Amino acid sequence: MAQFEKANPSIKVKPVEYQWTAPSFAAKLAAGTLPTVFEVPFTDARTLGDNGQLADLTGGARALPYFSKYNKAVLAEGTDSKGRIIALPKGAYAQALHYNRKLFAEAGLDPNKPPKTWAQVIRDALQISQKTGKAGYVQMAKDDNTAGWILTTLVYTLGGRMEKGSGKDAVATLNNAQTVTALNMLKRMRWTDNSMGSNFDYGWSDINQAFAAGNVGMYVSGSDVYTNLVQASKVDPSIYGLAALPIAKSKNAGVLGGGTEVAVKPTVGDAEKSAALKWIDFFYERPLVTKARARQNASTLAANKQPVGVPALPLFNKKQYDLANTWIKPFINVPLGQMKPFLTDIFGQTLIPEPAASTQSVYHALDPVVEAVLTDRNANIQSLLDQANKTAQAAISSGK
Amino acid sequence: MSAEERPAALVTPTDWRRPGVRLGLGGAQVLLLAALVVVGLGPILWLAKSAITPTADTIGHPMALFPHGSAWSNLREAWVEVDVGRYFWNTVVLAVGSWLVQIVVATTGGYALSVLRPSYAKVINALLLMTLFVPAVVLLVPLYIEIVHPPIVHHSLIDSYWAVWLPAGASAFNVIIVKRFFDNLPREIFEAARIDGAGPFTLFTKIVLPMSKPILGVVSVFALLASWKDFLWPLLVLTDPNKQPLSVRLPTIQSQTELGVFLAAMFIACLVPIAGFLIFQRSFLRGSGMGGAIKG
Amino acid sequence: MDAIAEIEVEGAALARRQYRVRRSPLTWVRGGGLSTLLFVLPRLLAFGAFSWYPIVRTVVMSLQHTNLVESPTWVGFDNFRAVLNDPLLPIAVKNTAYFAFLALIFGYPVPLAAAVLMSEARRGRSLYSVLAYLPVVIPPVVAVLLWKTFYDAGSVGVFNTVLGWGHLGPYPWLQSQSWAMPSLVLESTWANAGATVIIYLAALTAVNPELYEAAAVDGATLWQKVWHVTLPQLRGVLLVTMILQIIGTAQVFLEPFLFTSGGPANATLTVLLLIYDYAFGNSLGGDYGMATALSLMLAVFLALFSLAYLRATRSWSTE
Repeated sequence: MAQFEKANPSIKVKPVEYQWTAPSFAAKLAAGTLPTVFEVPFTDARTLGDNGQLADLTGGARALPYFSKYNKAVLAEGTDSKGRIIALPKGAYAQALHYNRKLFAEAGLDPNKPPKTWAQVIRDALQISQKTGKAGYVQMAKDDNTAGWILTTLVYTLGGRMEKGSGKDAVATLNNAQTVTALNMLKRMRWTDNSMGSNFDYGWSDINQAFAAGNVGMYVSGSDVYTNLVQASKVDPSIYGLAALPIAKSKNAGVLGGGTEVAVKPTVGDAEKSAALKWIDFFYERPLVTKARARQNASTLAANKQPVGVPALPLFNKKQYDLANTWIKPFINVPLGQMKPFLTDIFGQTLIPEPAASTQSVYHALDPVVEAVLTDRNANIQSLLDQANKTAQAAISSGK
Repeated sequence: MSAEERPAALVTPTDWRRPGVRLGLGGAQVLLLAALVVVGLGPILWLAKSAITPTADTIGHPMALFPHGSAWSNLREAWVEVDVGRYFWNTVVLAVGSWLVQIVVATTGGYALSVLRPSYAKVINALLLMTLFVPAVVLLVPLYIEIVHPPIVHHSLIDSYWAVWLPAGASAFNVIIVKRFFDNLPREIFEAARIDGAGPFTLFTKIVLPMSKPILGVVSVFALLASWKDFLWPLLVLTDPNKQPLSVRLPTIQSQTELGVFLAAMFIACLVPIAGFLIFQRSFLRGSGMGGAIKG
Repeated sequence: MDAIAEIEVEGAALARRQYRVRRSPLTWVRGGGLSTLLFVLPRLLAFGAFSWYPIVRTVVMSLQHTNLVESPTWVGFDNFRAVLNDPLLPIAVKNTAYFAFLALIFGYPVPLAAAVLMSEARRGRSLYSVLAYLPVVIPPVVAVLLWKTFYDAGSVGVFNTVLGWGHLGPYPWLQSQSWAMPSLVLESTWANAGATVIIYLAALTAVNPELYEAAAVDGATLWQKVWHVTLPQLRGVLLVTMILQIIGTAQVFLEPFLFTSGGPANATLTVLLLIYDYAFGNSLGGDYGMATALSLMLAVFLALFSLAYLRATRSWSTE
């Protein structure tokens, strides 16, 4: 920050501590008290842009020297329906399978050969739970949309989709055949195999905590959670393994991607806006495209014992991504060798963006379905899905 | 005579001498006491024990007593790394501010309506009592909007402690108990003071306030306790983690904190209310009983 | 005679009226009106801004669509219609009623029995009171989080370990749709019963001993004394405590919010939680119209219920 201010003497940067929660974001948005530059997840950026709640950055963004290098799909996440750029990507991830190498070894499985099909996942989960007494496979099932998020992830790997079309005219397809298959997989692991342990209300951070404590064999989450595992739960790096999700052999099958981007308050004047863009450029984007900044960032993080080199998705093209990784190679302190299965397979997988219309409402409609399957042996999957579909459709049609 | 000192009346000494009563009733009382210890005190003792037990032991053998030694470091870590100290301080600041607002509103209002008795007192009293029948949920959303877009100040009060302090003053419960107390104050003293030339301010500060110590004690105890326990409102209006009190912060940090340290943090959060309760038992229990008398 | 009195009375009234007309603002100030107003001001401001005004606004907002950025628009009864059409509403109402019902079963007779036993304790009564009231002073958030660790569904969860000594369990507690709500009620009773015990205790010791003596003279046994003297004397307190408990449990929020977030599969979704979700659940802005509409519906329901309750019990509480 000091360097930025030195290079730009007319700009003063004030860091503001802020933790994103749904109600606080909405309130700050309404009260206009968000910091000038703030982060939003991919899912919210376009809706906010369409509602005029983010500043238009198109002019300043196009002027950036590396603008043409951006990955088109990633840039699209920050472009609203009118074609304006309202956010620049900060980091992108793909869903992945995280597994505990130590538990694999204890159960007699090869830690370097994580499962490549869902059938193998189910088999390995059973073996882990039988041989080690720990949960073999665990899935998020909390009512805060994470349950729906992971279920959607599974469905994408089987080739299904939650929506057809876009905007308010989109049609909800939650009750498609692949969703039923995914839920039956869960039902099998939960009730027949009993390989999912005894906790069924994991959210994003609890599941990380349980994994770091060594109680979970495998789970699905974003490929970037290693950072949280280290920072919040002080995980022992030697147990961590990262694999790509098993993808079915259908042409629609792929892996769900997400990410965070940086936006600017709509109510700022031009001077403040260009200052904000300069900051975004300096703090978020340059470290990905200039060697000196990349190395500087990496060395600072490493000095503070923060993870460097956690696998992410390229914001630009793959060449840039590989190049950036060679720059920071000396500082990488994450066990990349243990993440090899992911790194080998991910670039061959098709990346699919999250459902575009009313994303959070779609996930929310799926939450109780997942919870029901995991807590009620006799849950009627089809009728639950039909009900969820109705709820999601209502939300989509009303633009929520 | 207060509850503790009143002699038992239902069962007479003669009754007690009968062996049937001795065994039956006495036995039941002993059972009750044992149950109270296990149920009332048990969880708190468990919390205290686990606060200084290593996490692995708490998870693996929750009912064992220090199988591998104790971990006082949990407390230190809770205070320093989880920063329980800061949230503790926030809770104290919130409590003191709310208490002050409530005392000011309760004493001045009670004095005016009960002692000075203007002609519009009846109307205001009626309005105040009516709010008692309105469930708190009705106020939640508009109060929140009012804090986000306050009418006169035009600057959001979110993340300001005033958002918690000011609404605390509107407590109908305080109104009732203070009014009752003031109504029972002997009028002769006021008359005597007035004849001596005391104006309303002097009357308030030199006569009424000193006489109000008991009721102020009850109001204070309840105000401080209510503030310490408050959850939903601070959750909504204090979004900056550095300003949040313990009750709001504890759930959020649960997934980032190992169990032993987390339990230690919870234990620290309990200490002040428990200590306060043990020291000021009489005020608590009398105030609760009074609450019952009013409701009856 | 009457005519003269009438005239005299009228004259007095006339005189009084004239007297009132002659009062001026100055008289009012000198009479102490200004200082009185100053004293009332804090209370008026506090209640006006944070009690009366919000109540009025709730009614207004339930008929509007508010989105915090633009000015609100009037939408008539749309919000109420939307709430009534929400498939989650009947679930929330059923769950709330279930919670209130369970809370009444667990938490109503037990404090009474305990208080009766305690009131007859010959020594150490304050020990009983302190132990009973201790859970009440624990901050509710701590109580819930503590019980959440107790309710861990694995076989090494605290409760499951203890029950395991008796060869029972392990039970799913919060992880099962049928066990979740009773688990919530159990913790809620633990945290709140102490206050009720103290209220009963105060009422019990206020019972006139002469009534007991009279009953003893009539040859009443202990049970008969309790049935014919204690309970009738306590009728008022008992009835009021019951309605207050019902009103309180109808607004339960903390337990479902912190224990299960309304799950699993909406098994612990209560009306308050639904209101919270309407208003604050969406990160892009809440539906304040629906939230206030539901708040109003709940308030009106509770008011009507209370009236019906008072009417029904009036015949019981007056002798």
